[in-house]
Amino acid sequence: MVLAALDQALLDGAVWGLAAAMLLPALAALFPGLPGGLRHAVPRVLAAFACLCAAALGAMQLAGSGGAMLAWWPGIPGEPFTLSPDALAAPFLVLFGLVGVVSFAAHASGGSGAGAQVRLSLHAGFALSLLCVFATRHALLFLVAWEGMTLLSAALVASDLRSARARTATYVYLALSHAGAACIAYAIVSLAAQAGSFGFDALTAAYTRLGTAEAARLGWLFTIGFGVKLGLVPMHVWLPMAHPEAPGPVSAMLSGVMVKAGLYGMLRFVWQMPGAPPEHWGTALLVVGIATALTGALYAAVESDAKRLLAYSTIKHGGVLAMAVGLAALLAAAGQREIAGVALVAALYHAVGHGLAKALAFLSVAEATHAAGSRNLEALGGLARRMPATAFAALVSTLTLCALPPFSCFAGEWLIFQALILGYSAGAGQLRLLAPFAGAALALASALAVAALVKLYGIGFLGRPHTEPAARSHEAEPAVARAMLAFALLPVGWGLAAPWLATTLARPLAQLLPGFDAEQLARHSGLAMVPAGLQSSSISPAAAALLLGMFALVARLWLRGARGGMPEVRVGPSWACGTRLDARMQYSALGFTKPLRLIFEPVLHAERELEVLEQGSPYFARKYRYRSGLPAVFEQMLYQPFVQAVLWTSEQARRLQTGSLHLYLAYLLVTLVALLLWAR
Amino acid sequence: MMATALIVIVQTLLIVALAPLWNGIVGAIKARLQMRHGLPLTQRYRDLIKLAGKETVLTEDASPLARVAPYLILGAVLAVCTWTPVLTTESGLGFAGDLVMTVALLAAVRVLLALLALECGTTFGGMAASRHLALSALAEPALMLAVFTLAIAARSTDLARISAAVAATPDAWVSPSHLLALTAMWIVVVSETGRVPVDNPVTHLELTMIHEGLVLDVSGHHLALLEWAAAIRQMILLTLVANLFLPWGIAVVATPAALALALAAWLGKLLVFAVVVALTESLTAKMRLFRVPEFLGMAFLLALLALSSDSLLRG
Repeated sequence: MVLAALDQALLDGAVWGLAAAMLLPALAALFPGLPGGLRHAVPRVLAAFACLCAAALGAMQLAGSGGAMLAWWPGIPGEPFTLSPDALAAPFLVLFGLVGVVSFAAHASGGSGAGAQVRLSLHAGFALSLLCVFATRHALLFLVAWEGMTLLSAALVASDLRSARARTATYVYLALSHAGAACIAYAIVSLAAQAGSFGFDALTAAYTRLGTAEAARLGWLFTIGFGVKLGLVPMHVWLPMAHPEAPGPVSAMLSGVMVKAGLYGMLRFVWQMPGAPPEHWGTALLVVGIATALTGALYAAVESDAKRLLAYSTIKHGGVLAMAVGLAALLAAAGQREIAGVALVAALYHAVGHGLAKALAFLSVAEATHAAGSRNLEALGGLARRMPATAFAALVSTLTLCALPPFSCFAGEWLIFQALILGYSAGAGQLRLLAPFAGAALALASALAVAALVKLYGIGFLGRPHTEPAARSHEAEPAVARAMLAFALLPVGWGLAAPWLATTLARPLAQLLPGFDAEQLARHSGLAMVPAGLQSSSISPAAAALLLGMFALVARLWLRGARGGMPEVRVGPSWACGTRLDARMQYSALGFTKPLRLIFEPVLHAERELEVLEQGSPYFARKYRYRSGLPAVFEQMLYQPFVQAVLWTSEQARRLQTGSLHLYLAYLLVTLVALLLWAR
Repeated sequence: MMATALIVIVQTLLIVALAPLWNGIVGAIKARLQMRHGLPLTQRYRDLIKLAGKETVLTEDASPLARVAPYLILGAVLAVCTWTPVLTTESGLGFAGDLVMTVALLAAVRVLLALLALECGTTFGGMAASRHLALSALAEPALMLAVFTLAIAARSTDLARISAAVAATPDAWVSPSHLLALTAMWIVVVSETGRVPVDNPVTHLELTMIHEGLVLDVSGHHLALLEWAAAIRQMILLTLVANLFLPWGIAVVATPAALALALAAWLGKLLVFAVVVALTESLTAKMRLFRVPEFLGMAFLLALLALSSDSLLRG
């Protein structure tokens, strides 16, 4: 009883808190007499508090209590708009809440101008629509919230319209998102027409009445629509454009949470429908997931823009999530429910684990690039000593995104590997063929991501500053630094608690996989996790971390004992073979992954141009110009022809409208005659 | 319980203690092949002890990471030691780590080494880190796939269980998939331990070096930690080849007699590996750097072929 009331209070707090945070800055603009705190500080605290409520709501839902509900009549016939999060939404709510708290806490407090207020209001509105996407049980509200999420985040991406890059990013983001949203809207509306209602339960019931072909068609439409958000190849092109343009706290939410809404949608609207998902859906998703993971990792490795690199890493992890879901679908279709459950748990666990790490990465890298005045890794360097708190947060997120134990991304990939190996042995035909490639792709993508992220931290934060602004950079504001340091605990904790979390996250799977028993994902002595259906592989991130720490301590003691007392550590200048050390002697970001660019040249088609500007002597040129770049393969191959076709068609259509009055009169005549003939 | 703990400690100590010796043996065999006397076998230990007592000079550009990374690196490889099956397939800490955890912890070592190399702001560190990461990007998936071929048959990624499963079917190793996987694994081990033809462990200040370049700017007791960690890492990889792919003699039940036999078998296999490595290093030249990706790509393909042929042959 108390719990139910608490649940209700949390939902109320989350929704009304965000709504108030969205409206307060606007009200403050209308009434200039209001105290200044109402413009920025109060909405920020309100929004952070509301997000905390959302996280607590999700956690309570996972713990088994639930039933909170908000409903209101929008004034249209049919069911009321309801917000009532269920078990499937719970992990996403937890992720949303946690990222939301730090995203609002780290909101630049310096801006007191109108721009900052508008941004805060938009940010709160974006968060509110994300909350509605995850919490609603009404498909029309889902569509409205989905659209709100896209539009409000696009407004934030476009916050600096003076830059052509931001304008292009906004345009591409809007165009692709709306193509995806159109697919989703069409599918939902045609289901709702069958059902006569927009309630999720009614939609599910209507799905059973559809013919197989029609059901499959809707399933594909949903998959494409949600695939755009998840950043699946080839619909991923918006992601590396849009995510870097937004301010850090917003990028954190875009990459950490909004991308996962694609996963949520797929599970909700494709997987949860009766009879679905068919085997070929699983195959397609697995193949697309492989392609996405490899594309994201490879482009991240050769990218020199810090925030674009992170966006590509998000694509890689989106691909990993798609692989997990596709794998689960293939296994479920083959009747291997237990192993399918392992793959699904992997998807849920990894979605949250990656979301936390990516939010932290975007926050810290945004602080660093802001301080150094450039997003280009070639212009950073030496930041670890100048902004230690930010660098620490960046280091934690880097190690996490490399999928290293004991951090959060590792256990998710481990579960996918387990599902692959077990699924291969269980022997579904399609899977036998695909599993080796999936395993190879996952391992290769992880190794490439390691190269990318070591470049991000190693070139961007370590060594010497490459430029004057980087040398002058200083630590983020104390509040922001504290927020990041506190948030850095989460990816670590999420990884250490993996065995317990995986079992907890497995609970909602009863909805998705009838017959899957969460407790099957057994815990061995409370520390290790063992996949269901097999009791012989296990890992324990906590035990591994403990062993590592213990041995590190032993090494320290050994050194202390070796000569009676610790040998000293002295600090001195770097040795540069007798010459004066110059920052330009360091490896550049471009050079750092040049070997990878050469190895993968057949796929990347990198362009490079070397021009001798001034030939000093016959052997050594005095001045060079070097230009290198990667062609935007997907844009050129897929989208360019389409855009050109549209432009060509509109060019042709323009001939009809030349401005000549006689011609327009002739159109009238022809239309009239045609109508008369037709009506005759 | 006590016995299990004892076995874990003994196995770990064996790897840790013998790791520098193996390098010494390879060096001695190579010296003999080149008609030299070579260094005494204990020289590697003396080097480590000498370095352990020396002060470390850190660059003024270094971040706090440089102070802890050497300890973390040694800690990570030692953690892997505890669940690596050396003498017996009854492993006490198998619950903590498996194949994927092993590969990931070794990747963590790689990441920390690369970051450490980039601390200095000099050219050599960056060059070595760049090359190391690029080559490992190919070697690591090949390693994963090679062991997956065995893991699939054992239906487990637990190292001890894989070893036991292969040991239980003695004639399975003649299958094409096993041999292909073994070849791939050997190529990976050669690359990851920085041996000829991928890298030359005795070069210094040569533009082609990889593994030595990573630690070029590290000195004193930090260098001692890293050198020892590198030797242990090499020992772990060799032990994986010995006890996963060729697990003859490993004790399935940990009786004293079986353990003694296992110890003899393990030492024998390591000696054979030392001879093979020394012969390779004496007979072949180092490859050009950009031929190495082809070499490693071959390992990757062999491992993929091993997996697929396994699927074809088992129907």
